Amino acid sequence: MMNGLVACHEFKHGWREKLLPTLLVITLLLTGFSFYNGYQWSKQQQAVIAAAQLEQQQAIAQAQQALVKRRATTPINWWDDVTDLRGYAFYLMVNYALKPPQAMAPVAVGQSDVLPYFFRLTVGKKQDFIHQHETVHPLLLQLGKFDLAFFTVYLLPLLIIVACYSALSQEKHSGQLLSLMVQGLSPLRLLLIQLTVRAGVIVIPLIAGSLLLLIIFQPEASALALLGLGGLLLLYALFWLALCALVISFGKTASYNISTLIACWLAWVIIIPALGNSWMQWMHPVPSRIHYVDTLRQVTDQVEQSTANTLANFFQDHPELASNNAAKPLDHYSVKKLASINAIEKTMQPVQQAFEQHLIQQQRSAAQWQLLSPASITQSALSQLAGNGLEGHQHFMAQTQQYHAQLRGYFQTRIIAAVGRGDFAPCEGCNANITLTEFSAIPVFSYRSYAPSIQWLPIGCLATMVLIMAYVALIRVGGLGRAQ
Amino acid sequence: MFALTLYPLTLGKEWREACREGRVFWLAITLFVLMLAVIASGWQSHKALSLQQQQVTESERLRWLQQGDKGPHSAAHYGVYVIKPSSPLAVLEPGLTPYLGHTILLEAHKQNDAQFRPIQDAVPGQRFGELTPGFVVQILLPLLIILFGFQSLAGERDKGTLQQLWLAGASPCTLFWSKAAALLSLGLLFLAPLIVYVLLIAPAMSHHLTPFDWARAGIIALGYFVYLFIWVLLTLFISAVSNTSRLALLSLLIIWGALCLLIPKIAIEWSTQSVQLDSARLFQSRMESEIYTQKRLSAIEQYKQETLRQYQVKEVSELPFDWSGAQLQFGEAYGNQVFDRLYGERQQAINQQSSRYEWAGLFSPMVTLQRITTAAAATDMRHHQWFSEAAERHRRHMQVLLNGDVKQNAQSADGDYKAGIALWKQVPEFNYALPDFLPLIPFYRKPLLLLCLWLVLGLIAGQWAVKHLSREQI
Repeated sequence: MMNGLVACHEFKHGWREKLLPTLLVITLLLTGFSFYNGYQWSKQQQAVIAAAQLEQQQAIAQAQQALVKRRATTPINWWDDVTDLRGYAFYLMVNYALKPPQAMAPVAVGQSDVLPYFFRLTVGKKQDFIHQHETVHPLLLQLGKFDLAFFTVYLLPLLIIVACYSALSQEKHSGQLLSLMVQGLSPLRLLLIQLTVRAGVIVIPLIAGSLLLLIIFQPEASALALLGLGGLLLLYALFWLALCALVISFGKTASYNISTLIACWLAWVIIIPALGNSWMQWMHPVPSRIHYVDTLRQVTDQVEQSTANTLANFFQDHPELASNNAAKPLDHYSVKKLASINAIEKTMQPVQQAFEQHLIQQQRSAAQWQLLSPASITQSALSQLAGNGLEGHQHFMAQTQQYHAQLRGYFQTRIIAAVGRGDFAPCEGCNANITLTEFSAIPVFSYRSYAPSIQWLPIGCLATMVLIMAYVALIRVGGLGRAQ
Repeated sequence: MFALTLYPLTLGKEWREACREGRVFWLAITLFVLMLAVIASGWQSHKALSLQQQQVTESERLRWLQQGDKGPHSAAHYGVYVIKPSSPLAVLEPGLTPYLGHTILLEAHKQNDAQFRPIQDAVPGQRFGELTPGFVVQILLPLLIILFGFQSLAGERDKGTLQQLWLAGASPCTLFWSKAAALLSLGLLFLAPLIVYVLLIAPAMSHHLTPFDWARAGIIALGYFVYLFIWVLLTLFISAVSNTSRLALLSLLIIWGALCLLIPKIAIEWSTQSVQLDSARLFQSRMESEIYTQKRLSAIEQYKQETLRQYQVKEVSELPFDWSGAQLQFGEAYGNQVFDRLYGERQQAINQQSSRYEWAGLFSPMVTLQRITTAAAATDMRHHQWFSEAAERHRRHMQVLLNGDVKQNAQSADGDYKAGIALWKQVPEFNYALPDFLPLIPFYRKPLLLLCLWLVLGLIAGQWAVKHLSREQI
């Protein structure tokens, strides 16, 4: 009964002071705006993916029309001819590997605006496509999108601090606390009620609003994912509430509380993550891309200069493709090109791996370092939940590379067989035969969706921090009551 | 006289109070150490990067010269990689560097974008918590000024010492400006490592492609100074007009959150959503579908007929030069028109987005300062565009030379013409140097004017605060 009365009074008081309605409006507005930005980005990605799929289908339809035309009229240059295996494989193919956004994508844009979500592939070397990226104003990348993750990680703590810093201390320093205690209200109970009412005005609209928006606009989002999001937001909010309670438990003035809380915010949200990044870059510096270019050029030169060697190595790696007919040596331009593509990729593999290895090491360090900052834990968990973290991208990259190898294999076999049959030069001065007719048989990329794994250790750490701070605050506020 | 003695007294008092505020004091020490650390590590990275850039540029030139005898068009496809030079001032303000590529391949038939954005080789955390000197000055120092200064006048009022100061003969004007000078001195302490870097280290790191430009260094230093001064004035204004120090702190925190966190993000979201950019996929498709068309083939045919008419011959083999060289150059010129249009449209859209974002400087001095300092450090979009344009001009010049050589010399070689080092040497080195900053100032007049406007507003706020204090004195 008394709890209800105090809560009601606290709410009315906050409402009269205009603090609670202001916070409520800010929270609702920012929740809506941040969701809208994430949702827009996700829709934009979907539109690009749909257009790419359409372009691919249209290109196949046009190639089929060109096949009919090619059968009826005189041939054109092979590099302009979609019915020529070489022209199609090396230059004309319209083939995409696409990563569609997941249902929870509007929650956190994460790395999805920086890392590519589509690749246009030919059978050329993978170094030609893996560095593609979407065109976005670099300032937007630098500042980052104003999404739900940003609102939660950076602004939610500030709103909670602004709402809660003066709890209990106002009553204590105005002398009201003693009279309330006389009426049987303990400082602990008063603090809990105040924090619940004040933070409730921020946390409940945030959680309810974001879940509701997701249910309405992303109906394919699973109940488990929604539950995960709600739990994560609540846990992060509880962390800042527990911290507020802990700082308030020292019994100092409201000014002291707020400056301490802001210093904590600065340390946990800005300084510790930034220090972690500096530490990672110092411990595991990424190799230089300028040197990468240098190496790529050297490797390409070596491969181009020793064609015979490159061809020999190629057929050593692919004995199944070597011709049994010694009368038809497989040193055609397109075979040489395939051999050099394979050789460059093979030689560049360790260099490529060095980049991937450093990234993995940095990821490991980041996973350890993030345990020190609840903001980093939450940011990382939200990105993972949205499928827009680094793991999701690596999953897509692995699939793309696998598909690229499959695509290359498909054309490699057919091009070499065509060379063996002499299809590209059936007789002296003749035009090439039609070598590509079955466009629908060409392998198509199919994205296997990524199920984000839940990282329990950081979440457990965050929960432990909440419990420890809440426990210490509880003991100290209890002591405060006895002192009064 | 009183004004002169009041300043050191005020400075001493503010400093003592800052030290007494243990949490804030330690936060300031941490920030100062961090500032030193980020400058030192940025300096080391920049040194390594500059060295790599010079080495790879030299080896790329050597590769070009030693590519052996081959057809000039093969050489044009082989191409040259050029690397964007980085100013030593980029250590202070890396700006958009991690989000833009630094290497462009100059080759036949294609205008390429810069490749290898450092951010693609980074873990997500690096993007959301990159600590740079610019970040410390733009975001963290204003917060520190707020934490040091919110009690400056409101605290005196809370404790009742304000009235004592009036009785002791202090005038509101002297008190306000002494407090401002004291607070600014504290803020400027953090700029000391930056100044040392600019004066001693950056000039030593310059070379012919990145000459040290005092105008650029001066603009950065002046920009930081004005920005901190604006925050000092804003802090003291709020402190003067707030009834309690608690209210002052709360108001200042809300202002800081809005100016440094909210407005820049909302502004860039608005700018990029109100002017749409084509997706890279669409851009690529348009480029292919607009160059390799029947219209192009017809244009080549028309050019051929015109050339035959001009030389009054029937076959290209009868021309006094090699037709393939002329056709290649015609194809290049045709493609260049499409590049100019498509890249031009994209550039215009990006510039419109940048321009709209700049207007957010009306609401946040941080947006304005960021635009000025990244411009001075040559790490903004416009400097990247200038580099890309210079690279494209160089690519086109290369194609003219190489195709011209085919046109002049290939006819006698019966389709097997090969050029050598003499021709490769004719292709000049790409020596893009950062432009002088003073002539560029008109490009940045909007952010410069907006920063001046903020300064004027700050001074007006200061004067208003003095008037408010004067009323209290009465």
